Amino acid sequence: MARGNNEILATLEQIVGPEYVSNEEADLQPYTWDMTWAEPRMPDYVVMPKTVTEIQRVLRLANHRKIPVVPYCNGTNIGGLCVPEEGGIIMDLKKMDRILKIDPETCYAVIEPGVSHAAFSAALKATNPQWKGEEFSKGFEFGWGVHPASASVLAMAINHGIGHLNGRIGVNSQLLSSMEVVLPTGEVAKIGSCAYSDSWHSFLPLPRMDGLFTGWLGTTGIVTKLGVWIFPIRPYRDVLSVAAASAEDITKYMVRWRHYSLCDEVTAVSWWLAQIPITFPYSPKPADEPEFFSYTVISGWSEEELAYKRKIWEEVVAKEKAKGTKLIDFEYPPEAKRGRTELPSRIVGSTKNYSKSCGGGIAWPGTFAPCKSWPILYEKWKEIYIRHGLSPATRFTDYQGAHYGMLRCMTPFNKRDPASVQAARDAMVECVRAGLPEGMLPYKPPVEYQNELNAVADAGYMYLMAKIKDMLDPNNIMNPGKLGIR
Amino acid sequence: MSHLLNNKELKELGKIYDWVSMCTHCGNCKYGYEYGSNSNFAAMLCVQGDKFNFDSYRGSRGKVSLARSLLHNRIGWSDKVAHVLFTCTSCGACQQMCETDIKPWILRMFEALRYEAWKQNVAIPENIKAWSSTIGTLYNPYKEPHEKRLDWLPSDVRSSLPRKAEYIYFAGCTASYRRKQLARATVSLLQKLKVDFTVVEDEWCCASPLLRTGQYDLAAKFVEHNKTLPEKYGASAFITTCAGCYRTLGRDYMMDAPEGYADKYGKMTGVKVLHTTHLIEEMLNKGEIEFTGSFNKKVTYHDPCHLGRHAEVYETPRNVLKAVPGLELVEMYRNKKFSFCCGAGGGVRGGFADYSLETAGKRVKEAEATGAELVTSACPFCYTNLADAIELSKSPLKMEDIVEIIEPIVRKK
Ligand SMILES: Cc1cc2nc3c(=O)[nH]c(=O)nc-3n(C[C@H](O)[C@H](O)[C@H](O)COP(=O)(O)OP(=O)(O)OC[C@H]3O[C@@H](n4cnc5c(N)ncnc54)[C@H](O)[C@@H]3O)c2cc1C
Ligand code: SF4
Ligand code: SF4
Repeated sequence: MARGNNEILATLEQIVGPEYVSNEEADLQPYTWDMTWAEPRMPDYVVMPKTVTEIQRVLRLANHRKIPVVPYCNGTNIGGLCVPEEGGIIMDLKKMDRILKIDPETCYAVIEPGVSHAAFSAALKATNPQWKGEEFSKGFEFGWGVHPASASVLAMAINHGIGHLNGRIGVNSQLLSSMEVVLPTGEVAKIGSCAYSDSWHSFLPLPRMDGLFTGWLGTTGIVTKLGVWIFPIRPYRDVLSVAAASAEDITKYMVRWRHYSLCDEVTAVSWWLAQIPITFPYSPKPADEPEFFSYTVISGWSEEELAYKRKIWEEVVAKEKAKGTKLIDFEYPPEAKRGRTELPSRIVGSTKNYSKSCGGGIAWPGTFAPCKSWPILYEKWKEIYIRHGLSPATRFTDYQGAHYGMLRCMTPFNKRDPASVQAARDAMVECVRAGLPEGMLPYKPPVEYQNELNAVADAGYMYLMAKIKDMLDPNNIMNPGKLGIR
Repeated sequence: MSHLLNNKELKELGKIYDWVSMCTHCGNCKYGYEYGSNSNFAAMLCVQGDKFNFDSYRGSRGKVSLARSLLHNRIGWSDKVAHVLFTCTSCGACQQMCETDIKPWILRMFEALRYEAWKQNVAIPENIKAWSSTIGTLYNPYKEPHEKRLDWLPSDVRSSLPRKAEYIYFAGCTASYRRKQLARATVSLLQKLKVDFTVVEDEWCCASPLLRTGQYDLAAKFVEHNKTLPEKYGASAFITTCAGCYRTLGRDYMMDAPEGYADKYGKMTGVKVLHTTHLIEEMLNKGEIEFTGSFNKKVTYHDPCHLGRHAEVYETPRNVLKAVPGLELVEMYRNKKFSFCCGAGGGVRGGFADYSLETAGKRVKEAEATGAELVTSACPFCYTNLADAIELSKSPLKMEDIVEIIEPIVRKK
């Protein structure tokens, strides 16, 4: 069955070529949903542009005819962000998959939207840091998450994605260095150093206009090229682990340890998140098991550097224990350790941990929150989750020092059971509501979270946001419905 | 949003819905990937996605999503649905990458979808329909008379073979009708190695093309018939040079769902199924084979999907090749579990010849990039597609089956 309108279809065919556009339901159906509870919505067309010019022409058409456009790479965002709320055009960007540049001296790369984590990590691993031909070490890395390998690096980075270097250098949107964007009205703009030369190394000292396109969930334009900082792979890595009897205790340890800024990452996972797969539906934790398990990844250029970091870490643990913080020694599982030290890796993350056999659903209240709020919100969330028959599979991760971190609860649910879907959605929305007064903010928020956010946001902030959106996207064609402001 | 099984008409699909519904829509199946201290692999492996672009065609996700859309009554059947279903080569790369509980059921699900498609008024590829209309009486998909099935076998050899033997050499339809020299080379090899085998005139198609294209009802009599052959000929094992026959006899006939079809056709028991390379490897290991010459060429090995990902036989053919004096084995970037299909499987060669050959052309280019002079494989069907692509692209590569490499230069010690 075909959808949409033949005249629009013909124009799209003219722009991208007939094999790169479809309005057949059989082609449209994979774009109607994702792993979350988002209600399936049928788009009317899918287009696969190959060039910036094609994107410009599609957007001009869409803007003229007021057709919604949803930027799409792989739809793995765990927020229903690519589900076309109002139909329209899915702009699948996978064909634009070139790694345009890896500069091993200035340490940045320039990528197109379709570059997958798999392709980028393979290319970076094969490029050596160097200066004037002299190689210093082997391979580069970026902040690798535990995404499906096909997921887009660009889509992840512009939406504040989280990677394995977040303890050392922050979330991935802090690693952006330049971008090219097509505005909803069809103009192309370069932002950052690339606006002045072919060097894509930095946004500074210019006004941070990249902010108009980061964290906006594809509602302000299509980012067509992205410069990102890359980092030499440190050859020595280790994982240190400790468990705790409570969220309070694990937070005390994490806050003291990250104070020294010596690790690449420090994360704690609740007992339920440590189960593979996460127990679904909820079942109680055995009384003698710790409430939280924590790992921290340290890296260095020599065994000595690693030994020093290990020593400080041991002192931190000893000091906390001496104070009465209930920390419990435990050995990090070897397979997971291998995964953590050889990132990016499909061992540590991936859907098998999250939703192996529960019925297809995954969602999360994924949030950035001040670390202070972790134990408070954990107790609240735990009560909410257990009340809804769900396991409180919670994660705390520190981002770059003392400022803030991740608070997240990975939630499998059974899509075949309407009650299970409802319970999951209700629990997660309640968690978001409970967290907002504590400074918690959801990332890549589904529409339901966005509505909670908007309900308590500063009025001036909402006004400014709407004004920017109207200025950039006067006909509200870009991923409409996702921000809850138009 | 709940995913309720609203469409009860789709019985075969409905039966496996418990597993279909385990898919998380994560997309791991859309790309081949491995990273670690010893690996750094990233490449597109889905033949279909490589050609047809949209997510509907990429990996199992598109097809699981399609199955769910149909089961939830969100979309109807159309020619486009048939195109999505029948352009997948069943290469199994997506299954390789998946990590949730749907994993072992993925290929079975494709076949169940195709089974359902036959009952709808949709555009099943004409050529598949054509061979399907005669296979029931000719017992092969090549529309050749059954009486000519053994024409490849010289009459003197035929008369020298015993009626009953330990092994039945199951040549399969492709070698019997289209790659006769491979069937002859296999027989010659088995004779040189003094294997107690026979060839049977009432061999029927193993049913691979039927099962892979979802023709469950038609497949039944083929499975039932071939299962009786070992007892009839006093054999304890089938031996085959065809990866497709190997997978079908060894898994579909012998294993429970989802790996096989024992749930539908009962289980073949008390019989072993060997690929020729298994037998050669075993004899090499026992020191029973002596090389009388060498093969001084740089060779790359193409993993047939039915032998590799479907049955996890990766090292056996390589071990055989490595044992050949003078032969230098070089690997393509995409190999073993990350191999790239030749483009012929799942009924695609018959259904969409141009696309199938285009895929084979991609594989030939990859083989050329290794610097090899010759590409080898362990399947006459892969052979046909790759050899045709070599010819079409005027590639300098030569193609020979492993058996053809080995046969001229071995004898039993
Ligand atoms: C099992 C699992 C584990 C995960 N782990 C992590 C993790 O560790 N860290 C993490 O950060 N994420 C994680 N994710 C989320 C997700 O995989 C990543 O954010 C991913 O990189 C998104 O890529 P995608 O190709 O799926 O993007 P999509 O889902 O296609 O797009 C994401 C958003 O970006 C917009 N968009 C896409 N392209 C453009 C463009 N060119 N211009 C403007 N807007 C655009 C879309 O409209 C959408 O709003 C995980 C997901 C899963 C399923
Ligand atoms: S079996 Fe092969 S061709 Fe078919 S969807 Fe999977 S990877 Fe693609
Ligand atoms: S088939 Fe497996 S890998 Fe593919 S989307 Fe579903 S769960 Fe993920």
